[in-house]
Amino acid sequence: MYHALGILALAAPLFSQPLGDIPPGKTFLIVQSHHDDHTWQWGFSGFAARLVDAGWRGYFVRTTNDEKDGGAGWGKNDQTNLRESREAIRALGLTDVISLNWRNDHMESVPVKEVRAQFILLLRKLRPDVVMTWDPWGHYDRNPDHRMVSRAMGEALWLAGQWNVHPEHRDLGLVPFRPGRVYYTFRSDYGKGHGYNVAIEFNDAQMRRKADAYWAHKNVFNTPDEAKRIREALAVRNLAIPELAGLSDEQAIERIRRWEIEFASRETARNLGVSFAEKFWMVNEFDGLPGLKDYLQKKAVKR
Amino acid sequence: MKIFLLFATVCLWNQSVLVVTADASDYVLCAGGTLAKLASGGAQITLVRVTNDDKDSVNLLPEETANRVRQESEAAAKELGIAKVIHLGYRAGELGGVSPTELRDRIMFYVRLTKPDVMFIPNPYAEYVEVLDRHYTGMAAEEARRTATMPNHQPAHAIAGLSPHIVKELYYYSAPVDPRRREPEGPAQFVPQPVVRDIAGTFTRKLRAAQALTTINQAMAAAIHRRLEDTGRRLPLFDRGLTESAVAKLVEENVRGLAALCAKDTQFRQAEEFHHAGPDYQVPLRYSGAAKR
Ligand SMILES: [Zn+2]
Repeated sequence: MYHALGILALAAPLFSQPLGDIPPGKTFLIVQSHHDDHTWQWGFSGFAARLVDAGWRGYFVRTTNDEKDGGAGWGKNDQTNLRESREAIRALGLTDVISLNWRNDHMESVPVKEVRAQFILLLRKLRPDVVMTWDPWGHYDRNPDHRMVSRAMGEALWLAGQWNVHPEHRDLGLVPFRPGRVYYTFRSDYGKGHGYNVAIEFNDAQMRRKADAYWAHKNVFNTPDEAKRIREALAVRNLAIPELAGLSDEQAIERIRRWEIEFASRETARNLGVSFAEKFWMVNEFDGLPGLKDYLQKKAVKR
Repeated sequence: MKIFLLFATVCLWNQSVLVVTADASDYVLCAGGTLAKLASGGAQITLVRVTNDDKDSVNLLPEETANRVRQESEAAAKELGIAKVIHLGYRAGELGGVSPTELRDRIMFYVRLTKPDVMFIPNPYAEYVEVLDRHYTGMAAEEARRTATMPNHQPAHAIAGLSPHIVKELYYYSAPVDPRRREPEGPAQFVPQPVVRDIAGTFTRKLRAAQALTTINQAMAAAIHRRLEDTGRRLPLFDRGLTESAVAKLVEENVRGLAALCAKDTQFRQAEEFHHAGPDYQVPLRYSGAAKR
């Protein structure tokens, strides 16, 4: 993603979705396109921190190599962004970053089957109870990597449970697997977008880790020039931010970054009676079988 | 519900209907009752089934799965009164890698060959339909309806005696999972509108058609069973195994559940939902019947 302070003008659509609880399970998998997708305001990191605190193991899949993101040149950007995404998941308490290293911003020209094959293998190997990923039905996201990951992951979630899809996986002892719950996210600031059906609350300590994870991506977010521009623009109007007084531009940008991610989490939580939240479209285990959903809910019993 | 256009049954005697489906079960579960009703009214229905459903089965090789589902889908179509089934034979789950133009032109061939008055196609805009083959098929079929009218598409067709054809009516079908599926989307002249059709009279035939798809149904039952087992639950219906009768009962619950869901907030007991593009769709107002009235 390419980022500007436009984030401060976050347009939070009106929503009054119920607060979601932590589903049963122990493993979650975040599959996104870029090193920082899970940590920004359309990400999952507050939810991830909460799951980790509840004893879950989490994995983050970085699908591209992020070579375009940052000012350091392709190879250096790739390596720095990967290193920083490892720092970010450490802050959140996730177990690992799995980098698939597809070429950043060139994913639309990759066959969907090639990408989805890797996702299916990961789903069957890690057997996550919860998957968090880009929404294949999100609107107006013009990022080619977000589009491809959403589509490939949509196909992977549909097909990973079918026997004759990648039968070679059986030679690894892997069997078809379908995650119980999927949480989708998407850019809500582009157009009308889609609605949300759940919000996940997280606490102050988890918010701090979310901000740490966000700020870990210094290769793209440590932009002292931006702090300088903001302060100059305010000064023209005889305004200043007292909390930034005496801070260098380097220090000020860190403060601003932490504010912006906290602001987004507070905005989402507004009207929900909690301090911080993230919002998603959640697809539950039998939502794909609308005719049977109620029946299974009523008839399934504990073994 | 006022947002719906609940319209009366039209006599379709001798009408030609073309149904396009990505897989063997989708059109049965979403439109089977309506199609059975049309067939009873004398409509000649042709089904184009795009994929071979070779992926989803229990302990069957893809080739064996494809063979069985082919036969079962013929049986299901017969239950509904469908006169002819065309199997395009694309491998299931792989339409994302097929040229959209190729798929469109293969469907267009059958539009020009069967010259339907009405088409039923998967709704490619229905959100949260996880079987993405349905999305690709819907996109191709929607395009095929348009290109079939234009002689500059596939000029070789004319040499072979296939002339351009206008399909007057179009129904988009999909499983009722899109949370916004019943919201109107703009004027009917430009955008297909949500409609609900009563299927109480043909529900039993729809159910029998769905139950005929035994290979797919076994796979669905097994997937549910596996999910419940993995999460420490069980379905008493499966206590004696995934027997033929248990799976048939599960399918019945599914078909009943779908019919009830689609009938919700309407005067019907059992129904199917569509988006409908009627004869005035995309016809400038001054040429349409509405303007003359
Ligand atoms: Zn991104």
